[in-house]
Amino acid sequence: MPLTFRLNGETVSPGDVPATTTLLDWLREARGLTGTKEGCNEGDCGACTVMVSDDTGHRALNACILFLPQLQGKAVTTVEGLSGPDGELHPVQQAMVDHHGSQCGFCTPGFAVTMATAHLNGRTDHDIQLAGNLCRCTGYAPIIRAARAAEAQPVPQWMTPSIFASQISSGDAPQARGAESPLDAYRPATADELARWYADNPDTTLIAGATDVGLWVTKGLRDLGRVCYLNGISDLQGIDIGEDEIRIGAGVTLTALREAIAPHHPDFAALLDRYGSVQVRNAATIGGNIANGSPIGDSPPALIALGATLHLRHGNARRSMPLEDFFLAYGKQDRAPGEFVEAVTIPRQPDRLRCYKISKRFDQDISAVCGCFSIRVEDGTVTGARIVFGGMAGVPKRAAAVEAALVGQTWNRKTVEAAEGAWEQDFRPMSDMRASAAYRLDAARGLLSRYLLEDLGTPVRVREVAP
Amino acid sequence: MDFNTAAETNIFDRPKILGKAVPRRDGPLKTTGRAPYAYERHDVAEGQLVGYPLGSAIAKGRILSMDTEAARAAPGVRAIVTTLDMEAMPVPSEMHTAHLFGGDKVEHYHQAIAVVVAETFEQARAATALIKVEYDADEGAEFDLLAAYEKMKDTPVDPEVSKGDFETAFANAAHRIDRTYVTTPQNHAQMEPQATVAAWDENGNVTLWTSNQMIQWAKKAVAKTFEMDVEKVRVDSPYVGGGFGNKLFIRSDVVLAALGAKAAGQPVKLAMPRPFVMNNTTHRAGTVQRIRIGTDAQGKIVALAHEGTSNTLPGGSGEDATNQSQHFYAADTLLIATRLAEMHLPEANAMRAPGEASGLMGLEMAMDEMAEELGMDPVQFRLVNDTDTSPATGKKFSDRNFARCLTEGAERFGWENRNTTPGSRREGDWLIGHGVAGAFRPSPATTSGARVRLQADGRIIVETDMTDIGTGSYTIIAQTVAEAMGMDIEDVEVRLGDSAFPVSSGSGGQFGAVSSTAGAYAACTALRREVARRIGHNDADGLSFARGNVTAGAKETPLVDIAPEGEIVAEDKVKFGSFRKDRMVATFAAHFVEVGVNAWTGEVRVRRMLGVCDAGRIMNPTTALSQVIGGMVMGVGAALSEEIAVDTAKGVFINHDLANYEVPVHADIPEQEVVFLDTLDPVSGPLKSKGVGELGLCGVAGAVANAVYNATGVRAREYPITLDKLLDGLPEV
Repeated sequence: MPLTFRLNGETVSPGDVPATTTLLDWLREARGLTGTKEGCNEGDCGACTVMVSDDTGHRALNACILFLPQLQGKAVTTVEGLSGPDGELHPVQQAMVDHHGSQCGFCTPGFAVTMATAHLNGRTDHDIQLAGNLCRCTGYAPIIRAARAAEAQPVPQWMTPSIFASQISSGDAPQARGAESPLDAYRPATADELARWYADNPDTTLIAGATDVGLWVTKGLRDLGRVCYLNGISDLQGIDIGEDEIRIGAGVTLTALREAIAPHHPDFAALLDRYGSVQVRNAATIGGNIANGSPIGDSPPALIALGATLHLRHGNARRSMPLEDFFLAYGKQDRAPGEFVEAVTIPRQPDRLRCYKISKRFDQDISAVCGCFSIRVEDGTVTGARIVFGGMAGVPKRAAAVEAALVGQTWNRKTVEAAEGAWEQDFRPMSDMRASAAYRLDAARGLLSRYLLEDLGTPVRVREVAP
Repeated sequence: MDFNTAAETNIFDRPKILGKAVPRRDGPLKTTGRAPYAYERHDVAEGQLVGYPLGSAIAKGRILSMDTEAARAAPGVRAIVTTLDMEAMPVPSEMHTAHLFGGDKVEHYHQAIAVVVAETFEQARAATALIKVEYDADEGAEFDLLAAYEKMKDTPVDPEVSKGDFETAFANAAHRIDRTYVTTPQNHAQMEPQATVAAWDENGNVTLWTSNQMIQWAKKAVAKTFEMDVEKVRVDSPYVGGGFGNKLFIRSDVVLAALGAKAAGQPVKLAMPRPFVMNNTTHRAGTVQRIRIGTDAQGKIVALAHEGTSNTLPGGSGEDATNQSQHFYAADTLLIATRLAEMHLPEANAMRAPGEASGLMGLEMAMDEMAEELGMDPVQFRLVNDTDTSPATGKKFSDRNFARCLTEGAERFGWENRNTTPGSRREGDWLIGHGVAGAFRPSPATTSGARVRLQADGRIIVETDMTDIGTGSYTIIAQTVAEAMGMDIEDVEVRLGDSAFPVSSGSGGQFGAVSSTAGAYAACTALRREVARRIGHNDADGLSFARGNVTAGAKETPLVDIAPEGEIVAEDKVKFGSFRKDRMVATFAAHFVEVGVNAWTGEVRVRRMLGVCDAGRIMNPTTALSQVIGGMVMGVGAALSEEIAVDTAKGVFINHDLANYEVPVHADIPEQEVVFLDTLDPVSGPLKSKGVGELGLCGVAGAVANAVYNATGVRAREYPITLDKLLDGLPEV
C-alpha cells in the first residue's frame, strides 16, 4: 500500500517521494507547513520537533532526521495542529506567551510541541523533557516557568486521542517495492521477513531510528541506495524480564529501555536520561546504537559492564557473543553481510552498576568519557569487576588490567591507588576537540575513586548541586 | 526631533503603559508557528526556486577551475553561478572585511564560490556536490592565534591610550599583578541560520526578504555589492530568528540568492546550512590579553595596562578587548594597546557586546587576582576603585550607579557568607565557590525615524525599519506610542523591518531600544502637532492625550473623530545632539555566581546567579529581564563550554554545528535572579533609558571563572574553563 499517515487529523499520502525524504523538508516544502523550523538539520536543536502518535503513545521526535516511510500508519501533529479549531492557543502556547518563553521565536514552535507532548503524557520533569530544545535568547528559565504553569491546565478537548487514532488498517502489511520505484524502501513487519529479505539483499541500508543514518543523508549527502525500515517490526521491540536474564529486542527505543531498566539498574536509567535528548531517545534503538559501532555510544559501556550478550541473526542462523567481542576495531564490527542484531540480553544480577558520563554540557552532548562500573564486593574483598569505557579507545572497551588489579584485593582507597598504573595498560586515548588524552586518563582514574566513595556512602549528585 | 539637551520631566515620567510588564505582542504568532521567517516567505513571490551554496574547501589561495558540467546536467537544475563567472564583487561595506563573492581569490574556508539553483532543495544540494573545483592552496596561510601572539608580543606598538607614566607607576606600585588571559573564538549560534528570498522585476529592482538586524545598512550594502542604485533595492525582515551580531550585515545568502534569481530569471530562496553559517559568516575573534595592575597599599589602582591581541582577516578590526579598561575603574595611569594578528580564518566581526564581552573576561579575572594579592574582599576592591569620570577621556559619566550594583548585589546574594579561602568549602563531593564581577558597556544612541498613521477608526499604525531580533521591539515601540498618544496598546499596530519604512537605528550595539523608541516618540510628537492643528490649536504641548481622547481645556475629542475622512500621517526622526558625547553614557552591572565543582572530576555546575543592573528606565521589565537572563546564559557558555575549535593546519572551524559548538542546555542553568536599579539617565534620551541587551552578557563569564577559582583554588586563565584545566590542581579529598 502507498505510504499513508495522519497529519494534524488528516490522512495524507505523500506519493512517490524518495525513500529518504525527511518529514521536515516535506512539511515545509510540499505542505507549506512552515511552523516547524530547521535550525541545524541534524537533531541537535529541536526546532523541528513534531509529535508522533501511535497505539503505543505520543512521542516528540526531530522531523529533520525522520524519514517519511518511518511514519507509516502513525499520526503526526505539528505546531499548526496544537491550537484549537477557532485558533485558541494550547495551554502550553498560552503559557509561553504569558511567561515570555519566546523571544526571537525561531526555537519556539519546537518547544511548544515538546511541551504539548509532555503535557499530554503528564510529564513534569521539564529539564529532562526539554533537554533537546536549544534556545539562545531566553535563558531557559521563562520556558521552564511556562511549562510549570501549563501543568495544571487540562488537555484541551481538541487534543483528545481520537484525532490521533490512525485510520489506517493494521492489516495493511507493507510491501517490498521494486528497485525501479522511486520509493525504494522495504518495511518488513516481522523479524522473519527481515531475515529473509536482508539475507537476499545484504547491500541494503537498515534504518531503525535514523538518528545516525539520518545524518548520513542530511549532512553526509549520501545516497543510501536500497533501504529497509525496521520500525514496523513489532517482534523486535519487546523487552522480556525473565528470571535469569533481561532480553531487549534490537528495535527497543532508548526511551523504552530507560523505563524498563530503571527498576533494575537505576544508574543505567540515569545515564540514558543524558543520552541525546527526548527526541533522540524516542527514535534511537538499542540495536542501532550497538550495530553502528560508535566508540562514543553511551549504551554499550553500560551493557558490557552488565555482562550483556549480543544476539545476531542471518537468515535462520543465529549466533551469540559477549557484547564486547562484537566491537573489533574503530568502525569495524563482527557482523557479516546480511546479518543483523536481533537482541541483547543482560543476566539478572544484584545492582552494582554505576554509570558516569562526562561531557562539557549536561545534556545533548557527546561523552568525552563515559565510564560504567560493576564491581562485586564480598566481605570487603573485590570478587569481580567489569569496568568499561566509551571515548577511551576506538571501541567501547573494558579496563582489563585495572579489573585484574582490583580482583582479590580489599575494596578500599589503597587498592584503587595501587591500580593507578594499570590504566595506561588498558587505554591510550586520543586527544581531540572534546578532551585531551591526559584528561581522559585522569578522569577515568577519578571515576573509579568516585565509584568507591559512592559505594562507601558519600552521596554524589551531578544534576542538581542545589544550595 | 533634536535631542540637544538632557531630558526634563516629560510624559514618560508619569507612565501608564511604559515600564509595565506588557506581554510580547508577537508571542501568539511565535508560539503557533505563524510568524513568517525569511525562508518561509512563500507568499511574497511566485515561482520560487531553491538555491544551495558551495563553499571553498581551502582557506587561502586561488581557484584554478570549476567544472560544472555534471551539475548543470543534473535533474531540476535551472542555473549555476560560480565565482569564476565574474570579477570579485565589491566588499559590501566598510564594516565588512571579506569579499562575499566573485573572482578566483579565496580568503577563508567556506567562502561562497558557487550557487546552484534548482526546482527542489534536494536537487540543488545534490547538484552542488557534483561541481568539481581545482584549487591552488596558499601554504603560507596563518591560522594559529597563540602562535602569532608569541611572535608579535614583544614588538612594541603605539598605545591607543597612554595616560601618565604607566611603567614607572607600575614598577613603584605597592602591589601588582601581571597576567595573560586567553579567550577562544565564539560563534553567535542564533537559532535561525541566514536565509533570503530574492526576486528581481523587469525594471531591475530587487527585493530581498531576509533575516537582518540593520535594514538600511543591508539596503546600501546590496546596492554597493551589485553596483546598482540604492533606490532599486528593497529589504524586508519583519521576523529575525536571533542575530547577536551575526546578522548585522548582509552575508553571502543575500548575494547568492540575488545572483541565482537573476541567472534563473525567477525568484530564488536560499538558506545557509548550519555548518556554512559557522565558517562562511562571522565569529567573535579569539583574544590574548595581557593585563597588569598596580595598586597602592590601600588597594587604589595606580597603574593599569590592558594589551589585547585578536585574530582578523587582513584589513579587519578583530575583537577589541581593551575598551572597558579605559573607562571602568579609576586608574592614575593607563596603558591601552591592541594588536591585530592578521590571519586567514573566516571574518571576525561583532558578536553581542563586541569588545567588552571578551575584555571583561580578562579584566574581571585580573581584578579578582589583584584583590587576592591585596588580601581584599573583591567587592570592596571594586568599590575602592569606583569612579564618576572615565580615566581615559576625563569625561563624566551621565549617570553611574555601579557601587550600588555591588553593594545591593552583595547583600541580596549573601556575599558575607561566601567561601573566603579558595578550595576549602565542601558539600559532599562538591567544592563550593563564589565569584563576583563587574560589568560595563557603553549605551550609544543613533538617529532613528518612524511614521505613525492615525486611522479613521482611531487606531494607530507605526512603521519603521527597526527590527525585532527577539529583543521586544514590537512591544516597547507599541508601549511608547500608546503612552505618547494616550491610547490603549491594543489600538497600536507596529510594523517593522521593511526598508520602505522610515530609516531607524536598527538593532545592534544595544542602541536599538533607546533610539527606536525615541524615534517613535518623535513621530508621535509630530502627530500630536497635527492633531492639535486639526482641532484648532497651535500648541500641542497644551493638550492632553489620554484614554483615546485629546483634551483642550474643557473640550474632549475622541481620536476616532480626528480623521474620519482618512488617515493622518506624521513622520519624524530623533537626532541625538553632540552634548550626549560630552558625557560617558554607559550601563553597569554586578554579577554574583555560586558554583559547585566536583572534587573528583572537575565538573562545574552553576548553582545560582544574581545580576544587578543599572540601565536607566526599564521600558518593559519582562522584555528587559529576558534580555539579561539570556545574556547570563550566554555568559555561562562563554565561561564553561563555548569554543570554536580551530584546525590550525587547515584554517577550518571544526565544530561547525550545534552538537559540538556547545551552547548551554536547560540543565546547565540554575535559577537566575536579576534586579534592575530604579535609575533614570536624562542624558541618554527622551525616555531616560539605556540598553540592556549586551549588558546582560558582560562580566558574567568572569564571575563564573572567579567562582570556579574560589571553589577549587585553581586559576584557569584560558577560557572556556573545561574540567581538564582544573583536574591537576584540585585539592586533595
